[in-house]
Amino acid sequence: MAACGDEAALAPGGDTTIEDRTSQAYRLPAPNLDADALALHLDGDVAFEATFVTAPAPVNGGLGPVYNHTSCIGCHARDGRGLPQIGTGPTSQSLVRVSLAEGTPAVPGGAVPVPGVGAQLQDHAIFGAALEGTPTLSWTDVDGAYGDGAAYQLRAPQLAIAWSEEPEGAVMTSLRQPPPVFGLGLLEAIDEPTLTALADPDDRDGDGISGRVNYVWDAQLGRAMPGRFGLKANTPTLRQQAAAAYVNDMGVTNPMFPEDDGAIEIDAARLDATAFYTATLAVPARAAANAAANRGEQLFDQFRCTGCHVPTLVTGDSPIAAVAHQTIQPFTDLLVHDMGDGLADGRPDFGADGREWRTSPLWGIGLAETVLVGARYLHDGRARTLDEAILWHGGEAEAARERFRRASSSDRAALVAFLMTL
Amino acid sequence: MRYSIALALSLSLAACGSDGGTVADFDDAALVADFADQVAVPTYALLDQRAAALEAAAVALEAAPSATTLEAAKAAWVATRSPWEQNEAFLFGPVSSFGYDPAMDSWPVNTNDLEAVLAAPDELTAAYIHNLPDSQKGFHTIEYLLWGEGQAREAEDLTARELTYLTGLSRELHATTTALAASWTTSVDGRTPYRDVFATAGETGNTAYPSRTAAVQELLGGMAAICDEVANGKIADPYDAHDPNLVESQYSYNSLVDFQDNLRSVRNAYTGAVADAGTSGRGLAAWVAERDPALDTRVRAEIQTAIDALAAIPAPFRDAIKDPTAYAKIEAAQAAIRTLQQTIEGDLTATVLP
Repeated sequence: MAACGDEAALAPGGDTTIEDRTSQAYRLPAPNLDADALALHLDGDVAFEATFVTAPAPVNGGLGPVYNHTSCIGCHARDGRGLPQIGTGPTSQSLVRVSLAEGTPAVPGGAVPVPGVGAQLQDHAIFGAALEGTPTLSWTDVDGAYGDGAAYQLRAPQLAIAWSEEPEGAVMTSLRQPPPVFGLGLLEAIDEPTLTALADPDDRDGDGISGRVNYVWDAQLGRAMPGRFGLKANTPTLRQQAAAAYVNDMGVTNPMFPEDDGAIEIDAARLDATAFYTATLAVPARAAANAAANRGEQLFDQFRCTGCHVPTLVTGDSPIAAVAHQTIQPFTDLLVHDMGDGLADGRPDFGADGREWRTSPLWGIGLAETVLVGARYLHDGRARTLDEAILWHGGEAEAARERFRRASSSDRAALVAFLMTL
Repeated sequence: MRYSIALALSLSLAACGSDGGTVADFDDAALVADFADQVAVPTYALLDQRAAALEAAAVALEAAPSATTLEAAKAAWVATRSPWEQNEAFLFGPVSSFGYDPAMDSWPVNTNDLEAVLAAPDELTAAYIHNLPDSQKGFHTIEYLLWGEGQAREAEDLTARELTYLTGLSRELHATTTALAASWTTSVDGRTPYRDVFATAGETGNTAYPSRTAAVQELLGGMAAICDEVANGKIADPYDAHDPNLVESQYSYNSLVDFQDNLRSVRNAYTGAVADAGTSGRGLAAWVAERDPALDTRVRAEIQTAIDALAAIPAPFRDAIKDPTAYAKIEAAQAAIRTLQQTIEGDLTATVLP
């Protein structure tokens, strides 16, 4: 609980915190970078904004042949979340992960790729190339009621894919809305013992919340490491996250994921700058809290939202000095949890099964609508409001959700008021 | 982004005063509302009006290609470009959320796929053009077709398909400016008009701008950000590399005008007025002048100095970055813009949001 005067709570990124409550709040460099680090960050800023085009080109060649978007910011506008828009044309921002239930995974423990497609549907292509398929997204209403009888309506996504070539076998799909990219260096700097100490895979403490580390393949080390990034924590490092996004989202080969013959379209310096950029974006300071928000923060703990959305963590050693040994308030445990049938995608991703999702960091979530008009929440953007996002929680979070659903309208509003200060 | 309008940490700590009271919000609601009504909305209206004229010029060019109609289309492009560049001090809200910015202003042009589309038999319907990647449409693709590499384009060079494509791109650009303008003034897809979102900053239930302080911080941050972008991005990236391939608006040789319009965008946001649209309201300038007239004078002078310094660089910018006799003027312009940026980040922010 962040009492008045608790500076750590008001500075959720530790020394990387920036005082900004505007649309720029996710895209600012950590204020504690030294001159060399800032210079590398700014190189990464340029790389993150770069639009790729069909090679050969004097600038930014290498797009495709198949891809989801042409730039990083094309999906992470202002370094924040994207919209749940998918399909033909440049406004498509979400993507669909795909895999088969049976077969040989691409890397040990990973998803089984769909032949001819891989583990991600590339729904765009450069001129003359064949895209893999065209997804369409529609929504169905789901009715519900609060404990006090007030009705609410949620919406669930319905995804359909028109394949360019119908794949053999049953394809499992998972729709993903782009998440924000700030504060990630801090999450990378949380050491493994901290994560394993938070995990409780067999729920030995009997609180109904287990929480597991998703051990995933580290392409650089060639072994399994704790997953931290991605909505199912399927990626261990920011360098691998950036490299995978280049090759899969934009079709840009790179030193970690080159062409079969070793050819690359961006060099290591550019890849490293992009990864460094996402590692060193500042975390926005919390907004001033009124009485309702302060009460909401107490309720957030009383409802045991904090069982997974762990308020405070301490980072360990890091090659990036600015993110090392910081007391932070990400409101995540970086673990994967069973979130119930309603949110299940039925598509395992390394150790995360078809019902498990990584606890999303909540820092900065109160700025979502400031950064992105029409911002949506949860892994696929189904939730139009924070209330809806809470109401979708199930599985290990069902008890906490029920405390919220059955709470008075003023308590519910207080809890959301607290979230809006983050 | 290189920096932020860094409010003192005391802002949030002050919210937790010993009496549990909350910090006072920025006191001038009219200023925030006037920015929406007298700056943002008229800028987008002017953009839409000029994009309509560009579309008409493209239609006329396609109907009767000649040196005259080509020049008219180029002039219409330059005229449309101006209000676009004058929106770059306030790229928040719908313009960045709904893909309007990349749809209009993506760079570089994907010339390979552009040439492939021009060589293909595909019918250039409105839907086809709408779904093209942003790097094959918008200002810079239109510019590429109108001027050509090295400004070598003659009207008789333009093929029938290029003319049709130009018309289609101009129509698509106009559709985008219409949607952008509408997003501020009308309810689209059930959303609150963005004018209402911004103008009601600080009112209960406003989830985008829960305080007027945040709205004013948005204005100051946007003003500083475009200074940074012009001095340290648009100028520095091509200048430091001496590479014309990195220059914005390089086909039209309009780069220096773009940059000056960016500084005019700062002036518009600061004064609450858009000279080209004939609108004016209560701006930050008036608020500052009432409290610190010397600072107001200084901010206005630094904006004008920066514009003048940009105008002093010999055009075209793509040649100046490789011409040692122009380097001093380029660096003087960067210095003038950085001075303004420091004033915005420093004294201006300290005065407006102490």
